[in-house]
Amino acid sequence: MKLLTHNLLTSHVRGLRPGGGYPLGIQATEVKLSPVDFNAQFVARMVPKVQWAALLQAAQSLGHGSDLPPEPAPGYESDEDFLRRLHHVLLEVEVVEGILRCPDSGHEFPITKGIPNMLLAEEET
Amino acid sequence: MEKEASQLEKDHVHHVYEKIAPHFSDARYKAWPKVQKFISNQELGSLIADIGCGNGKYLHINSKVYKLGCDYCFPLVETARNDGHEVMLCHSLCLPYRNECFDAVLSIAVIHHFSTKERRMQAIKEMARILRIGGQIMIYVWAMEQNRRKFEKQDIFVPWNPSPPSCASGNPCSRGIWKLINQKDKKLALNQHSHKSDGPLEAHRKAKSSSYVGEKEIMCTLFEKSLRWSLVSKSLGSALDLSNQWHQGEICTYCTYNFHLSEPDRKKDFEQTRQSSFMKYISNLLPSCRPISEDNAFEVAVEPGPLVSYHSVAFKSCSKLSQDTKQLQVAADITHDCSSVCLPDLVSHNKDPAVTQQLKIDHHPKQATFCRPQNKSKISSSLEGTGREDTISTQNKQQQTSSNGACLRYYHVFKKGELAELIEHQVPELRIIHSYFDHANWCVIAEKTPGGNI
Repeated sequence: MKLLTHNLLTSHVRGLRPGGGYPLGIQATEVKLSPVDFNAQFVARMVPKVQWAALLQAAQSLGHGSDLPPEPAPGYESDEDFLRRLHHVLLEVEVVEGILRCPDSGHEFPITKGIPNMLLAEEET
Repeated sequence: MEKEASQLEKDHVHHVYEKIAPHFSDARYKAWPKVQKFISNQELGSLIADIGCGNGKYLHINSKVYKLGCDYCFPLVETARNDGHEVMLCHSLCLPYRNECFDAVLSIAVIHHFSTKERRMQAIKEMARILRIGGQIMIYVWAMEQNRRKFEKQDIFVPWNPSPPSCASGNPCSRGIWKLINQKDKKLALNQHSHKSDGPLEAHRKAKSSSYVGEKEIMCTLFEKSLRWSLVSKSLGSALDLSNQWHQGEICTYCTYNFHLSEPDRKKDFEQTRQSSFMKYISNLLPSCRPISEDNAFEVAVEPGPLVSYHSVAFKSCSKLSQDTKQLQVAADITHDCSSVCLPDLVSHNKDPAVTQQLKIDHHPKQATFCRPQNKSKISSSLEGTGREDTISTQNKQQQTSSNGACLRYYHVFKKGELAELIEHQVPELRIIHSYFDHANWCVIAEKTPGGNI
């Protein structure tokens, strides 16, 4: 599971307040780094699409918090150094084994072989 | 109702896909061109969700966009993962994505597996929720109206054929098999047909049989595939294909060949009567020979209906007589397997009292529960309404546990206009841009609008 993916994921446990299932906390037991071709334009287009605070939090939990600024600076589209660091965090850091935790309910979704299992039991949906 | 609908889907979608997942990497499951085009046209940096991605056959397209696949079936998701795709396990009715985060959404051959209108609508609404305003969704569902034939009902069960003969890959197709069998064994079969346990001929037959063993085994395997394919590929709506003389002749030949591998000292008259009834039935079933394709839904469609085990009767009798004959056992297994598919209206075609009698004796209890005649009307109509659920779920459970369990997938095939109407009336946040027919599917491309509930 890449951090770009994680940024889009939310918990849908029943009874949560709106937004109560996001962002999911990451507790990783196995992380790997997978090289991905860098495309500046692609990465730049990701910036408005991601929730920055959630991305920061996720990066921090995996030890990459210092790679990113607290906010994207104006003119980031042409800041290659920033884009490369963002590229690395979004696309190259992968959680292979671990747990995603719903912030409000505490429900845990396992990640196995890089695949998050977001299924809920019938009574939880 | 929800519980029963969910159970039906568990039994006849989820469990089936889990079983058949290893076979999904066959070459026949290629991506449809219009879907490929839809993905390729998404601009650089788009986020795309493939809801019900299966083994990820669309996830490799367009390296300039970020694709996220999800599916309910773990083996399929795992396959996609092993190909390097970003995927997850989830349920379409409860997508684990935040609102409006995707630029495009795909739903290719997915929502026809939902067993109620409400669930189909809910699936579409969930996908609309995760789509950003101005983003597009592409939905493909199996069409009730096919080019050559039409399903009689919208709610159907489609058996899975793990390995149909493939002409493209160079393996002999069923047509070739028929020819092989015809050439090599017709003479043998015809000879045997008119002679009993004649000494020299008997020896000749045995000698010939042994020399053919290797070929026969190969042909049997290929035949097995063809027979399985043929037996289950009767479409509901088609009339009996009596015009297909070629197939009738060939299958008669092969069956005759098989029957004569057994001991000669059986009750020939009875056997021949049953044999000819069975022949008529089988030959009436065969469609014209063409490679099976996942694209063409209806080729394998059958409707839940009264149980027929009477084609298993004929083979069973032969397999009893000659247990060590591999081909007969295989054929018996296939027909027994296929007999759990509940091909419709077969009892009425057979007027032979001997077979009818045998039918009662051989009626397999586990298979029967799914296909009790009195429940035919219940299963075949829409699954809305009360009073059917217990019957359906009980039957389905027992069907699922049938030891020969032909994998039956549930489909709600869509009528022309039904998908568009569902979206127009139930999902106001989507505006249909394009509606068309493609490869036996009804298709819609729609755009997310600011209006409607999210």
